[in-house]
Amino acid sequence: MVRTFRGGVHPHDSKDMSKDQPIKQAPTPDIVYLSLRQHLGAPSKAVVKVGDLVKKGQIVAEPGGFVSSAVHSPVSGKVKEIKPHPHMMGPLADAVVVENDGKDEWFEGCNVATNWESMTPEQLKEKIRMSGIVGLGGATFPTHVKLSPPPEKKIDSAILNGVECEPYLTADYRLMIEQPDRVVEGFRIIMKVLGVSKGYIGVEANKPDAYIIMKEKGAKYGIEAVMLKVKYPQGAEKQLISAILGREVPSGGLPMDVGCVVQNVGTAAAIYDACAKNIPLLTRIMTVSGDGVSHTANYNIVLGQMLGPILKECGLKDGIRKLVFGGPMMGLAEPSENIPLAKGNSGVLALIAGVEKYEPRMCIRCSRCIDHCPMGLNPSVLSLLSDISDFTSMEKHHAMDCIECGVCTYMCPSRRMIVQQIKLGKQRILASRKK
Amino acid sequence: MSFVELFTIFFGVMLINNFILSKFLGLCPFFGVSKNTKDAVSMGVAVIFVMIMASVATCAINWYFLMGHQSNLLFQVFGGTDPSTFDMAFLKTIVYILVIAVLVQFVEMIIIKTSPALYRAMGIYLPLITTNCAILGVALLNDDFAKSSASMEPTFLSYLVKSLVQGVGGGLGFTMAMLLMSGVRERLEYTPVPVPLRGIPIAFFSASIMSISFLGFTGMM
Amino acid sequence: MLTTVIISLSILGVLGVLFGLGLAYASKKFSVETDPRVDRICELLPNANCGACGFAGCNAFAEQLVHGSLDVNTCKVCASEAKSVISSVLGKELVNQEREIAVIHCMRETIPARFEYNGIQDCRSALLVNGGFTTCQYGCLGLGTCATVCPFEALYMGEDGLPHVVDEKCTGCGNCAKVCPRGMITIAPMSRDVHILCNSKHDGKYTIGCCNHGCIGCKRCEKACPAGAIAVKDFLACIDYTKCVVCGACVDVCPTGAIGDYSLFRGKQSAKWRSGLAAK
Repeated sequence: MVRTFRGGVHPHDSKDMSKDQPIKQAPTPDIVYLSLRQHLGAPSKAVVKVGDLVKKGQIVAEPGGFVSSAVHSPVSGKVKEIKPHPHMMGPLADAVVVENDGKDEWFEGCNVATNWESMTPEQLKEKIRMSGIVGLGGATFPTHVKLSPPPEKKIDSAILNGVECEPYLTADYRLMIEQPDRVVEGFRIIMKVLGVSKGYIGVEANKPDAYIIMKEKGAKYGIEAVMLKVKYPQGAEKQLISAILGREVPSGGLPMDVGCVVQNVGTAAAIYDACAKNIPLLTRIMTVSGDGVSHTANYNIVLGQMLGPILKECGLKDGIRKLVFGGPMMGLAEPSENIPLAKGNSGVLALIAGVEKYEPRMCIRCSRCIDHCPMGLNPSVLSLLSDISDFTSMEKHHAMDCIECGVCTYMCPSRRMIVQQIKLGKQRILASRKK
Repeated sequence: MSFVELFTIFFGVMLINNFILSKFLGLCPFFGVSKNTKDAVSMGVAVIFVMIMASVATCAINWYFLMGHQSNLLFQVFGGTDPSTFDMAFLKTIVYILVIAVLVQFVEMIIIKTSPALYRAMGIYLPLITTNCAILGVALLNDDFAKSSASMEPTFLSYLVKSLVQGVGGGLGFTMAMLLMSGVRERLEYTPVPVPLRGIPIAFFSASIMSISFLGFTGMM
Repeated sequence: MLTTVIISLSILGVLGVLFGLGLAYASKKFSVETDPRVDRICELLPNANCGACGFAGCNAFAEQLVHGSLDVNTCKVCASEAKSVISSVLGKELVNQEREIAVIHCMRETIPARFEYNGIQDCRSALLVNGGFTTCQYGCLGLGTCATVCPFEALYMGEDGLPHVVDEKCTGCGNCAKVCPRGMITIAPMSRDVHILCNSKHDGKYTIGCCNHGCIGCKRCEKACPAGAIAVKDFLACIDYTKCVVCGACVDVCPTGAIGDYSLFRGKQSAKWRSGLAAK
């Protein structure tokens, strides 16, 4: 049976454009820009100086707090400078710039196979922390934090997220069918760290081949593959838990409140590399798609490399209207292609057709947003309250539970920018809480 | 004085002849205090309280002082042959206003003493109850229960009980209308309304639409 | 006829006396001490409920004035005459405080946009999208959130896309300063007429790249100031209004015209000042 959650929409998924493209290695960059803000939480702290020689896999920045992550150099070479550089989330952030010397030398102790099964959960967790692994689904939340639930929260199941519900993106799909062993082994490490015996892998019904592979590979480890309805946002944590386990995460709560931890398939593969091969997070898989490129592709990119050359290789057309990092629903539009790729880049879309500028109109109370909100909120009221800057009332209407999936904005016949309005409200509420 | 009869009175005054939405009495607090649900409910509760007290008090005064019948106290004290000499029905309005004014003053004093927060919430609206036509309305409407008809001869008890039921029903109906209206107006706060209509004008529109919807109860009894 | 008159008179008379006595007794029994000063002060306050004092409204502020140890000057909005009356009601001396008004620390003409912003027209929202669409990360976004929050209609968005302060109406309540996500509005004393009209903490090269009137942190003003009131920090000059003597020496030496002297144009809307600058 195909399971799902309440609400949501099914936009045209456009995955056919890139789903048959095998993963290929991106052109090796001459220079990498390692932003210190590639994750949620405190920025990383650089531990190298300008002029230092670094090798592939060497740590260049250590976590700046508990909710933070490390950054490693994906190339061997010289640290050219440490300065603010444009990055994905905003105009400028400190970045370590490393010049590639082309020798491709591994750092001592890296790329050495070890037997992870003989390591304790604590050792594995520390390994994950120092390997700079964050949620590769796009949220970039440091993975070791998610894997460290407080002792009073009893975790009984782990869920692996292979849903990839955002239209266009096929990176996780390619990973699941091309390198299923990395994914499953990584998931076993996650289960060991959490001490659970029951694991689920959620896969959307539009990827039947990935479902079958996951089912076969996982069967002998007590991992169950679950077929899920093709619906956005099926891959959002809370919706995935609701679909697979039928549990509802309480308002303001986390998945660990209902005994679950959800990880992305890409994260699992990275965890496998870190624990079994001693390779920190240096690369990730990224989809390049959209009608603005002449050939779509799934790349294994080097973190910190510039987007420009990759787009060039894909045949970027003239007259691009929008360059989106991530999927079309939740992704961020970026002003230029001179931006280094980071841990959270699951895809880059170059769009020409269908990018329109809409004037928002009055809310006509059609309640489409309410019918489709996967969190059961009332987006129309939230958006109207945001219009008059009544953020206290927004908090009473549970604005903080919004997952910013964008379904309301997608459905709105008046083209109201509901998510953006709720985002503003959330930011103001957080600011007033801090006070 | 059967249960059915009392229920008819109660239901009739609460929904069918709702003081605000059908009789258009007591509109002043209806628009003044219906901006948020909390104030609307506390105002409604105050109105229920005053209405019950006014019903009882005016009913006693009417029966024993103003009606020209055997039970009139003045007739019993001063004697005479014809009780209709003591029929003071024309004094009703002024006496009732006096009684209600005194009652509200009294309630106000008690509220200030016991719950300053409630007093602040209602602010100037409590004195509004003094001259609230819904209260005077319920007192005057109660008089019908004291009139003799072909089917039955009223007693003081039946008059009192019926007045009480009418008072409670009227008060509850008032509170309900306030509650509904405050809900609507809370939403109007964040609704983009054309500038000239903002505030009271749009509240009048909403009230009239609510009033029309209450017409639906008309045929029920 | 006469009996009717007598009866009705006696009924009303008796009831009146009874009720009167009852109420008199009740008012004694349920009497509550209230401070009449709160109501009096409440009448004198502006009743704009702007919240600049930090309390829920003028009523709450009045209560705090009477019962707490607040100063009347906490209310930025109140006229000085009303303040003196309030002080006398409270039995306190009024410390005269100078009127303050909002100052806009940006005078960009055009800033090349990094990208086209199509989102909701609110500066706070625009800042959340990739850190704002202007190349200068400190200057005005020009969507007018400050003008919408002003309770006194003292701010308006000019044709140049910048907010302008109407001196006569501004009370210095600071709502615009609080709401500006770039923090480029400050509240300054009325008589200190010289202001740094830039908020850019970018280095000089970057600032020149995106704006003609930006502060590049050259420190010429710092050297020129006879009172030592200007300090340059993070490539941005900052005037200490307690030391400033309003001599205008800094205005003359500023190479980019990022320092403005408002004194010539006080009483007029500040838009005029810009045309004055253009003439110079």
